Amino acid sequence: MIPGAVLRRIGLGGITGSPIAFVVALALMGLLLAVPLGHSGYLEIVFRNILMYATMAYGWNLIGGYTGYVSFGQVAFFGAGAYCSALLSAHGVDNLFADVALACVVNALFAVLVGLPVLRLKGHYFAIATLGIGLALADIVANLDVLGASGGLAVHHVDEAHFYVYYYAMWLVALGAILATYFIARSKLGFAFVAIRENEEAAAVLGIDATRYKITAWAISAMMAGSAGAVFAPANGFLDPSIAFSVDSNVFPIVMAILGGVGTVAGPFIGALILAGANELLQRYFIKVHTLFFGAMIVLVVLILPRGLVWLFGLRGGARTWLKSLTAFRA
Amino acid sequence: MTAAPAPAAGVALRISEVGMRFGGLWALSEVSFDVEHGSVLGLIGPNGSGKTTLMNVISGVYKPTTGSVTYEGRRIADVPTHAVCHLGIARTFQVVKPFASLTVRENVAVGAMYGRYGGKRSTRASFERAQELLEIVGLARVAERAASDLTIPDRKRLEVAKALALDPDVLLLDEVMAGLNATEVEEALELLRDVNRRGVTLIVVEHLMKAIVSISTTIVVLAEGKKIAQGAPSEVLASPQVIEAYLGSRWVKRQAALKEIEAQRADAVRVQPPEAHG
Repeated sequence: MIPGAVLRRIGLGGITGSPIAFVVALALMGLLLAVPLGHSGYLEIVFRNILMYATMAYGWNLIGGYTGYVSFGQVAFFGAGAYCSALLSAHGVDNLFADVALACVVNALFAVLVGLPVLRLKGHYFAIATLGIGLALADIVANLDVLGASGGLAVHHVDEAHFYVYYYAMWLVALGAILATYFIARSKLGFAFVAIRENEEAAAVLGIDATRYKITAWAISAMMAGSAGAVFAPANGFLDPSIAFSVDSNVFPIVMAILGGVGTVAGPFIGALILAGANELLQRYFIKVHTLFFGAMIVLVVLILPRGLVWLFGLRGGARTWLKSLTAFRA
Repeated sequence: MTAAPAPAAGVALRISEVGMRFGGLWALSEVSFDVEHGSVLGLIGPNGSGKTTLMNVISGVYKPTTGSVTYEGRRIADVPTHAVCHLGIARTFQVVKPFASLTVRENVAVGAMYGRYGGKRSTRASFERAQELLEIVGLARVAERAASDLTIPDRKRLEVAKALALDPDVLLLDEVMAGLNATEVEEALELLRDVNRRGVTLIVVEHLMKAIVSISTTIVVLAEGKKIAQGAPSEVLASPQVIEAYLGSRWVKRQAALKEIEAQRADAVRVQPPEAHG
């Protein structure tokens, strides 16, 4: 194992979460590089989706996990990013870097614009308002002919032989989200986010401009979700409002982040791997009742490991600490 | 007192005609006094007299209904809460507000990062400053523990360390000595004297009369939201209004009646003929 002093030197531990989990997550990311070598189109899509959901989970983790503002609006940013790619493709631009860059810029602006009114709300009110953003955007897009309205539109698609390009693009986007979270979590920005989550009033008294940092967190999280959408659209080859603003891409990332460990650097990735993997296996073996098992699994994990799977890596003190953690979350 | 006194040379904070209304209740009304640079102002009063409300107005958490608080000529009410500490005003909370999931050192470091210099101090320098302050307030032994694990007296110490991390010129302390034992109170007073010697103006709210008398240069007494006395500690505590505010008018009357009886008894003893002793 890596000694604690080395981990502290590179800034792990504390609010970045379990250092071992982070190293494990990076190692798993390394292994995922090999997936397209297997020449299985099916596996490539499964793992590309895992990376996509992981990226969105990182986005949610910044605003919901680190800053404590539980958002149900991340799908709006994912959809906006996807439609950015679709628009570029319609204008003959076929470049994934351009897609991601445009998605980031558009989403950052979108997040600031929406965040100014919405981030004044707290708790349930904030959650409900963000839920509305995704629903509203889906309806707006469904009525815009420029974006294909509810019928949808085709997005440029490379030929089968070069399909791996999308896989690696998604891998890069996911790696970007992990590293961005890592650097943010150990920076002054990360401490501002956590201070706001723990007690906004006390944070303000310590000189933290809560509005400014909440909007920063929300904008970065929107850029992450948007980047995932920007790569997803051309990889999927077709886009309509029900695909771009699906319930799955709203709920999965949240559940993944919670399952893996809210407010940690490794949590969302580990949560995405396990949840999407389990979903895939359950679908294969229990085709009719897989959602039942899936739901039961989530309920069990949240009950037994309220701090997320990542917490297992840092488990010290055995059963007593574990029991304490169960009661801590039910106050 | 209604009119604010004439401006003194070294006035840091001027509280003038401050009134604060919550619904139908005036928690503060027409409170005026000046706080001199480098002084220690003790703020006392019975429970519910408006001390904490006044602290909230001075630190910009509440905007006063009437009147104003100015710091070096600037109205605090015009400054957003987060910017008040950039001016050099810091406070502690009576009900402590630690960031529970952060360690003790991280709690203090957040203050050092954002406080006086608004995010311009580096992370490393902030952690070094936090460590210094933890040693000063006596929390270095628990620096790595989660703030939620601290005992109540240690949480009070953490509040003080967080406020000091803001590098304030004026420090508002709301009952930081409650729950400390006699030795700990002595240590806390020594710490505050030391902070004051470095030029920090202190405003101290405290129930421990002994502590407040020993540290304050001036004492302001609030009762039912009004200022009823101001002055040096010894004169304020001797004031009949203050005694009445603390112990009630019935106590004052009974005390007066008892004094009369005592006097009569003393007279009675004095008129006894000397041979009665034999």
